[in-house]
Amino acid sequence: MIRLRDHWFYLVVLAGLLVLPLFTDSDFVNAVMPSGLTGSALLHVFILMFFFAFMSQSWNIIGGFAGQLSIGHAAFFGIGAYTSTICYIHLGLSPWLGMFVAAGFTAMIGAGLGLISFHYGLRGPFFTLVTVAFAEITRLILLHWNFVGAANGILLPYSRDAGFWDFQFNGKEPYYYIALVMMLCSIALVAWVARSRFGYYLHAIRQDEDAAEAVGVPTKRCKIQAIALSAALAGLGGTFYAQYTQYIVPDDMVIGRVSVEILLGTVIGGAGTIMGPIVGAFILIPVGEATRVIFEGGGTGISLTTLIQSDVGLAEKFSGYLAYLAGGGGGGLAVLLYGVLLIAVVLGMPGGVLPWLTRKRKSFAKSDKKGDS
Amino acid sequence: MSLFEARNVTKRFGGLTAVNAVDFNVQQGEIVGLIGPNGAGKTTFFNVISGFMKPDEGDVRFLGESIVGHKPSDICKRGMTRTFQIVKPFPEMTVTDNILVGAFNHHRDAATANKKAREVMELVGLGAQAEKLGRELTVAGRKRVELAKALATEPKLMLLDEVMAGLTPSEVTGMIEVLGRVRDAGVTMVIVEHVMQVIMNLSDRIYVLHHGEAIAEGSPKSITSDPRVMEAYLGESFVAEPGGEHAS
Repeated sequence: MIRLRDHWFYLVVLAGLLVLPLFTDSDFVNAVMPSGLTGSALLHVFILMFFFAFMSQSWNIIGGFAGQLSIGHAAFFGIGAYTSTICYIHLGLSPWLGMFVAAGFTAMIGAGLGLISFHYGLRGPFFTLVTVAFAEITRLILLHWNFVGAANGILLPYSRDAGFWDFQFNGKEPYYYIALVMMLCSIALVAWVARSRFGYYLHAIRQDEDAAEAVGVPTKRCKIQAIALSAALAGLGGTFYAQYTQYIVPDDMVIGRVSVEILLGTVIGGAGTIMGPIVGAFILIPVGEATRVIFEGGGTGISLTTLIQSDVGLAEKFSGYLAYLAGGGGGGLAVLLYGVLLIAVVLGMPGGVLPWLTRKRKSFAKSDKKGDS
Repeated sequence: MSLFEARNVTKRFGGLTAVNAVDFNVQQGEIVGLIGPNGAGKTTFFNVISGFMKPDEGDVRFLGESIVGHKPSDICKRGMTRTFQIVKPFPEMTVTDNILVGAFNHHRDAATANKKAREVMELVGLGAQAEKLGRELTVAGRKRVELAKALATEPKLMLLDEVMAGLTPSEVTGMIEVLGRVRDAGVTMVIVEHVMQVIMNLSDRIYVLHHGEAIAEGSPKSITSDPRVMEAYLGESFVAEPGGEHAS
């Protein structure tokens, strides 16, 4: 049974998120946040957080619980976006329904991919390679298929009087709440999976497939079900993304960077845990956006070649280089800081932030008990 | 009808015949021992009859039906479970959850599966370690978890691959006790074992494997005095001497 008392922290956060859109333009927010991160820009960051939390949660089922590393989830995401969009444009089907068509379709593709991979007993890195190849094939097909706009992608038709059924809204607030609800639903789904036989079976598969098989776990079937469920969720996410950005194009969506961003939230937060992907996305997205806003300013006009050739000491050169990065040079300090943070988390908290916190709390509880006796 | 029957089972690895035309049967309620010197083919035979390897020739029948080509999970559903010589507890799960995975075999519902897991945990004497993680256990603990996981699937026939290996003499005594309780619970067992104390104490019947062939079969008593068995374990020169006390 879920006891609310144990989850007060999450409930407080949720309450805050529910009322947040009322305050994004308030004086307080304007005073505290950097200038690029207020109002609808701030809402956008939160929408991204919810969206990536949702996508990471989708990946969590196959990559976290079942331990089958997919680096091709951008493909399910892309196929989902294209499916509902095509249904909307060519059949006039509301994206609200289209997203479930998309989910069904990506689930089938996921199951097919799983069937082929797991039938031939592909494990570990070999399955991962299949997912990479699958994503690349998907990208190439979308890139050269004129019916879906090929390299130009699809610009969703915008209409001034679009209603609810068109899944088009003027402000960001509706998207904010839709993304929030989707994230909450994904948490509920994974929480249910974690407590069910299916969840235990997936955990068993991740830890030792032979041992699982020996005690009656139908490993192949479970893995196929897991990837189908995971792909279905990614497909739903694809529809949301298409409706939110109103523009889908293969080279922005079905690429390795997106696949990695999807799995990163889970890996950082804690793979195979219920709240890990959420924690991960809630750390990564704000840090990524904040460093970008803070450090990627105009560029200070320092030339790297001049700096290298200039006749100054090494320390001065280095600080000059930092200024160059901070000025938006060479890709920007933002990416550098982001990378440093990732490495720090992976090295310092193996298993993710959430399991690390749980361990800390347990050892605190233990030392408390010792103090009492 | 035998509960379990292997007919003419042969398994080759390239040019090496690891198991050669072995006939083997188990009756309901028996404990059957399987012994043999190192490299005799015991583990290979185990892998074949538990569905982890496919025999090149021969048939394996459980409850009157052939199980050749079936997945181990499917065989487990039918009521036959194995343990591994190199134990495989799920390292990041608690002892309870380890056993629970097994208990889910016949109980879909988490609450009833949990109840079954607790029962098994008490039976094998793991109650005190319920909340420990798989990787935190001692060898003896791991062996018990391995047994408990298999037992939780509610098997009619359990194949135990060296559950005593690596245990201290007192731990062996404890484990023999546990296996006795399992037998009393009505589970038929096949045990592969190096520890003779165990085999002689528990088995109703023993098969001896040597160079992949079943060279002898019979009661513990008749096996110890069988010249072919002595030869397999100790070499020919010992058998030439009359009496054969060396075999014990």
